[in-house]
Amino acid sequence: MNEELRQALHQGEQLGLRYALQIPQVAASGLVGSRLGRRAGSSIDFQDYREYQPGDDLRFIDWGIYARTDRLSIKLFREEVTPHLDIVLDGSRSMNLEGSSKARAAGELAALLAVAAANAQCSRAVWLSGEGFNRVANDTHPPPSWNGLQFESARTLDQSCEILPPKLRRLGVRVLISDLLWPGNPVQTLRRLREGAAALFVVQLLGRDDANPPDHGSIRLVDSETGEQTELFVDSTVKKQYLENLAQWQQAWDDACRQCGARLTTVIAEDLESSLRELEAIELLSPA
Amino acid sequence: MFPFLTYPLALIALASLPALAAIYLLRNRFRRRQVSSLMLWRFHVQSREGGSRVNRLQLPLLFFLELLALALLVIAATGPHWKLPQATRPLIVVLDDSLSMRAATDGVSARDRAREALQRLFRFQAPPSTRLILAGRDARLIGANARTWSEVEEALEQWQCWAPGAAIESALTLAGEIGKQQANILVLTDQPPPDERIANDRLQWRAFGVPSSNVAIINAARSVSDDQDRCLVEIANYSRSPRDAVLRVFAGSNAVPDRVQETRLAMAPQEVQRVVFNIPGTAPSLEVRLEAASESGLADALAEDNRVQLLSPIRRRVRVQVALTNPDFADLVNRALDATGLRAALSANPDLVIHHSDFAGSNAWSLNVQSPAEATAYVGPFVIDTSHPLAQGLALNGAVWAGGASLTNDAEFMPVVLAGNVPLLSVREDMLGRQFVRLNLDPQLSTWTRTPDWPVFWYNLLDWRASQLPGLRESNARPGSEIVLQSTGEPVTVRWPDGTVKLLQGANAPLAIEAPLPGVYTVTMGSMTNRFAVNALAPGESNLQHASGGQWGDWKAGAEGQYEQSPLAWLFGLAALGILTAHLCLVARGRAGG
Repeated sequence: MNEELRQALHQGEQLGLRYALQIPQVAASGLVGSRLGRRAGSSIDFQDYREYQPGDDLRFIDWGIYARTDRLSIKLFREEVTPHLDIVLDGSRSMNLEGSSKARAAGELAALLAVAAANAQCSRAVWLSGEGFNRVANDTHPPPSWNGLQFESARTLDQSCEILPPKLRRLGVRVLISDLLWPGNPVQTLRRLREGAAALFVVQLLGRDDANPPDHGSIRLVDSETGEQTELFVDSTVKKQYLENLAQWQQAWDDACRQCGARLTTVIAEDLESSLRELEAIELLSPA
Repeated sequence: MFPFLTYPLALIALASLPALAAIYLLRNRFRRRQVSSLMLWRFHVQSREGGSRVNRLQLPLLFFLELLALALLVIAATGPHWKLPQATRPLIVVLDDSLSMRAATDGVSARDRAREALQRLFRFQAPPSTRLILAGRDARLIGANARTWSEVEEALEQWQCWAPGAAIESALTLAGEIGKQQANILVLTDQPPPDERIANDRLQWRAFGVPSSNVAIINAARSVSDDQDRCLVEIANYSRSPRDAVLRVFAGSNAVPDRVQETRLAMAPQEVQRVVFNIPGTAPSLEVRLEAASESGLADALAEDNRVQLLSPIRRRVRVQVALTNPDFADLVNRALDATGLRAALSANPDLVIHHSDFAGSNAWSLNVQSPAEATAYVGPFVIDTSHPLAQGLALNGAVWAGGASLTNDAEFMPVVLAGNVPLLSVREDMLGRQFVRLNLDPQLSTWTRTPDWPVFWYNLLDWRASQLPGLRESNARPGSEIVLQSTGEPVTVRWPDGTVKLLQGANAPLAIEAPLPGVYTVTMGSMTNRFAVNALAPGESNLQHASGGQWGDWKAGAEGQYEQSPLAWLFGLAALGILTAHLCLVARGRAGG
């Protein structure tokens, strides 16, 4: 992992201090922790009463009610859980595009989310695609301590998932950070990520060159992942056609997100700080 | 055409062409750019220029436009000139205006072919200026200095080809004078040059004639013969085979003519036949037509010489008043006057007064017979001014002329016949043009009143007087000839056969009326109206067997001034401007599309 990426993690950590992860109610489950869960538990927060049933812990019988009504009632307390955040990073080469800040922004964003999750009393896991999905080393530590974060895979997210899918925690919050620029069926990818998740957020991270095609002239285009090349004379018509294709592709992902109950937002890598509002807009982050 | 450059050093600017190409090459070199995925770069619809996969250097239209504009501007900067071989020497065209140029072969006359050749010359090698000379009976310039074909075409309308001959030699002399031996001379005719080896390197002789057969009326006349008119028509067969023809004569011009004469002619090759007939003197104008004897037609190339019109000859009569006191002498004079046939029956308002004094009427001439008391008979030798109209044919051989020896010649009188220093016949003309004749004669002692010279003298007198009477002198003429009109001083109006009206200022002198076209001319002078006919009669022109076609001589292209330098920088500049405008439009359209 190069120094620039580590610097990005550090910067993301600093940014993340200002935010907390917004945990949806459905995601209030997990290991015992410090955050109230949906179910009854052993916290001190009263939740409800119910009739005593054999086997219930006698310590939770409300003897006052028994004295008044001669009926045994059990006091229920909220459980305390630790929600979980799974950050799924697209580790393909397109995320490390020459001349763009996509890799740096991806690291910065992952670090930000990790810190924001910590601010929200959430556990976290950072998954990186490559030859299958692997957790980033030391991902439970502060982001600057992460290791192995690199974007050099020639495989797409779908292909990595086929090889070794990530072990995502049930009822966790999942965030996919990718440029989404690979051919495939978005619905299939999203269903795989959405399965068992409390919420799925898709952050499309594009470089400025992805959003705005290159200048006019003769250009030899090189696919960052496959190495395939093509030579084009780019003029205004071609540029327009490219933007139309991009818009169609984004619309296809947006439709797939709606279909799968996920939320999509697009962030320009070079304008990350100004794009954080978009993350607030989709209720992924909230000010700490 | 030989182009040359005024500023060849400007060709250095051509270095900008490879510079432009280098700019485009560098600009068009493919820049490598990594993209996240090529999936968004695959299009179903490609634009005209962009989007296509290319495996070679791609040079847009703009490059070629810029390249062309640069090249044109560089060429314009060099100041290119074209050396054009034409438009260096003025051209003088000698046009054969003779009748034979109307001879047609396959419906196209030699004049039409010559005109077409001249137009072709203007189309491909237009001279800077052109003068036209009509070679008819004499040579004359027509039109002004023409610079374009339309101006030449306008002048060519006067090229009618009715003249009985072509004075090409005179025309060439005239062309040499006005061209100052610098102009090119072009002769358009139907005859070969007299000397086929043309030494003049400024002369091109082009003939458009075709040897053809022709049967023609070559001569026609109508003259007074007592109370009748005597008509003579000569017909020639200018062909190599015998020809049959019919000569028909019609009288009258307005109504259906009465056929008065029809003569069948069987003519051998080159034969000339003469038809003579008399008609009443009161007969109106005659039309003589030469027609085919069979339905196969006359088959000759020139139709214009198959028809003539003969008007009544002019019968001039002189009203004479004889006021002589000697009745014997008066009788002698009257008989002589009657014998001339020129004396009018009336004597009122006389044209000539014969008496014993110098007094005369308003317009009358005077013959003053001076009879001396003592006369001297002279037997000669007599001094005669034979150039005088009164003395034509006057010999006085063996005659005795008696006259007064004491009579001397007055200073105003011009002696016509002298005996020593004694004037026997003298003449004076006054301010009004009237002639006063003095005859110093004693008829008793003279014998010339009994010689043939006596009626000759009187005929001369009356003929002279008749010739000075107002009106035309003849009624039938040939094209190009000048018809003499004795004017009374009043304005004269001449109506040509084609309707053209010419107004001539009157003068107390003979007027020459131009008659270039065949047909009937009407001359009006005061209350007097005369007509005369012009007929296309020209044996030399009707004989088409010597017509020829070809070209002799040519204009030599000398080293000096044979090419005109025509600057063309403006042309290249204009083309560059147009290309740059197109370039601008393409660029603007590209921006609007983008």
